[in-house]
Amino acid sequence: MASFSRKRLSLTLVFIIILALFSALADWHASPLQEGGAGLNVPEWLPGKNFWNKFDYHLGLDLKGGTHLIYDADTLQIASDDRESAVEGVRDVIERRVNAFGVSEPVVQTNKSGLADYRIIVELAGVKDVNQAIAMIGETPLLEFKEQNPAYSGQQELTTEQQKELDDYNQQALKRAEEINKRALAGENFESLAREFSEDQGSRDKGGDLGWAARGTFVPEFDQALFEDLSVGQITPAPIKTDFGYHIIKKIDERQIKSDQPEATVEATDLSGEKVTDVNVDLNNNIEVLSSHILIKTKTANDILPPKDEWKNTELSGKHLKKSSVNYDNNTGDPEVSLEFNDEGAKLFEEITGRNVGKPVAIFLDGTPISVPNVNEKITGGKAVITGRFNLQEAKTLVQRLNAGALPVPISLISQQTVGPSLGQRSINDSLIAGLYGLLAVAVFMILYYRLPGFLSVLALAIYTLVVLMIFKVMPVTLTLAGMAGFIFSVGIAVDANVLIFERFKEELRAGRAYANAVEEGFKRAWTSIRDSNFSSLLTCLVLYWFGSSVIRGFAMTLGIGIIISMFSAIIITRSFMRLLKAGRMEKMGWLLGVKQKKS
Amino acid sequence: MLRIIQKRNIFFILSGTLVLVSIAAFIVWGLKLSIDFTGGSLSEISFIKDRPNVAEVRELLVSQKLNNTDEAVIQPAGSNELIIRTKTLTEDEHQQLVNVLKDNYGQENVVENRFESIGPVIGQELQNKAIVAVIIVLALIITYIAFTFRKVSKPMASWKYGLAATIALVHDVTIITGAFVLLGHYLNIEVGLLFVTALLTLLGYSVNDTIVVFDRIRENLIYRPKETFAETVNQSANETIARSINTSLTALLVLLALYFLGGVTIKYFVLALILGIIFGTYSSIFVASALLVSWHEFSRRKR
Repeated sequence: MASFSRKRLSLTLVFIIILALFSALADWHASPLQEGGAGLNVPEWLPGKNFWNKFDYHLGLDLKGGTHLIYDADTLQIASDDRESAVEGVRDVIERRVNAFGVSEPVVQTNKSGLADYRIIVELAGVKDVNQAIAMIGETPLLEFKEQNPAYSGQQELTTEQQKELDDYNQQALKRAEEINKRALAGENFESLAREFSEDQGSRDKGGDLGWAARGTFVPEFDQALFEDLSVGQITPAPIKTDFGYHIIKKIDERQIKSDQPEATVEATDLSGEKVTDVNVDLNNNIEVLSSHILIKTKTANDILPPKDEWKNTELSGKHLKKSSVNYDNNTGDPEVSLEFNDEGAKLFEEITGRNVGKPVAIFLDGTPISVPNVNEKITGGKAVITGRFNLQEAKTLVQRLNAGALPVPISLISQQTVGPSLGQRSINDSLIAGLYGLLAVAVFMILYYRLPGFLSVLALAIYTLVVLMIFKVMPVTLTLAGMAGFIFSVGIAVDANVLIFERFKEELRAGRAYANAVEEGFKRAWTSIRDSNFSSLLTCLVLYWFGSSVIRGFAMTLGIGIIISMFSAIIITRSFMRLLKAGRMEKMGWLLGVKQKKS
Repeated sequence: MLRIIQKRNIFFILSGTLVLVSIAAFIVWGLKLSIDFTGGSLSEISFIKDRPNVAEVRELLVSQKLNNTDEAVIQPAGSNELIIRTKTLTEDEHQQLVNVLKDNYGQENVVENRFESIGPVIGQELQNKAIVAVIIVLALIITYIAFTFRKVSKPMASWKYGLAATIALVHDVTIITGAFVLLGHYLNIEVGLLFVTALLTLLGYSVNDTIVVFDRIRENLIYRPKETFAETVNQSANETIARSINTSLTALLVLLALYFLGGVTIKYFVLALILGIIFGTYSSIFVASALLVSWHEFSRRKR
């Protein structure tokens, strides 16, 4: 006694076939893991191949390789009302920095844990140099105020006139150097010559004395003269040219160094008189030299050319900004951004605006100008307003950025998970192989144990697999390694519903019911068990999803979806297949159903 | 028909022993917690050509006097990997570690597959979260069982079904935990978030088998009013045993495939699931319903 119409059954079967076909085609395409790697595309001849190739799997970081970073934002210094926006600001800054890596789809999220613990989560897929990424993210946001550089003219190259001027100057310098060198060689006091002529600020007043120095302290040309060419007491026969200018050098003395360290770090003064620290000196030669020199400077193009940068730093920076917020212009109602400086900042701002009336002052964030307002008048009181043609969103963003720059919330890296691309590829392969064998084992078991219904359930299971994969693509679900495990596990669970139904079905057959009747009764009576047992698993999945980090969420998600679809698969797909079989024929072939039937 | 209920004392002794051993092992040795909970760093290094032995690498790290690596635990894994566990490393310290290995074993030979570093704060947080999650799942499932059996009243009150099912669950969780205490003690296998995930999943999954047996008992109590409670329960356990074993078997088949072929990272997660399903099925057939009968007879004798 079938309690369903044949027509409805045909409709359901058509629906199942369309769904299976659609899923199979949607599942087909897989993008390569790495650029240039092997991916999967639907065959060329397939109509609508572009459509099918649009579906893509979303792989988690542990499968495609990448890094997952958790930062803790220290907001203790900040009033509790402003914490949220400060952290949003930090996220913004990180987002911009991360975008600079060119990583596809970077994720930067904020997360509040506990009452005042703010976290910033950064996910970078396929990033090559994690170390560098971490270094760049960790920089504190830098806010600078700059004024126009008066010397800036935009000129980048020397005019012929200037070039001639430069050449002349250097020619003169050489002449002077040669002159002095001659006088030194002629026996004039080197010390007084140095005091009179040397243009090295550092050594001039010491009579050109450079002190004891080992090889590596000076530029190579200088070292060459001092350690190779000159002997003790000798003066250079002609001036030595270096980047600084022309040197007349006198080697006064040399001595052995006793040291067990092959290298030492010394504090030294370089030849232009600037202090240089941490110069690595090669002590292998074990020779130190005492020397004096006289420097006649030369000029380069950079000494003559105007500065390359239009903007010049002022003393005012992000650390002087107390607060910034969005305001509205009283007359027009346009959004504007107001800045409030601390006392020191107020003073500086007054000076800066005072000397720049009618000129622009630029606000730089992380080295790029975010706003270049014109100064209308000298501003006292430490408050400023940036009016501009920005909309509310832009104003808010700017405030966030400014507050982040002004209140640099220190962030610290508290968790890092990095997976290399090769491990990801291997994990995918391993999971696919495990899934395939698992599915095969289940199929063999079901067919051996449940015969024909078992075979039908395997068909249903195959369709189930296609549909679930399609849903992973469409939702989309981010697949992780644990997620793949969850999906494979769900295959084992999906078949459970079929087992429940078949056991019930066999019981009904043994009790002497006719085939069609046993099918209906089996499904009807197994349904409550299926529903109840899956319900508790779904509950757990929900808690896992709430509790989990991304890895566990992946597992909970795939398992949960698997369970829901498995109920549909058992009730709709398997039942339709079972109904399709001709009842009369079935009753004569009990062995196909794995049951010795009673004669009814 | 199997005389499951009649021979229940055997199962009580078996389960009791396993539970007691598990608890004793837990008290004496405790679980080996992974960096998920304690904080720390883990680096999985692949050696493309040949893998140095553990002692050699340990000596190298000691001789280099790197920060935070003095108590490093180094284990071989897979065919050519080493897993190095240390205290929490900063990114700089991590780079130093990798560079030392590369300098000594060749730039091309050494590839870092995976690096995890978890600060102690996060570890503590995850620990708390895991405990809360276990409590929530247990509470939900007890509520769920109580709800499912709300209509059963004769000859046992519905809450007694709920309690019996819960005891079976606690039994399963205790034994799996015990197994991982032993694995931790003898094989240095650590439990992390995935282990907790496995436990929670099992709570949801293995309660099903118990519910199915109880469902049948409820049904048979109506259809077979003449039998004693013990007979009805035994009848129900026998009627459902095939499906209990078969559903677990299908799940076990895929899990075994995952265990042997699915890769190192999730191996012990899968093992926890496997153990859980085996003991969960066992306890739903042999422990939960047996408990019901013993309880029933105990309260009848008292009357």
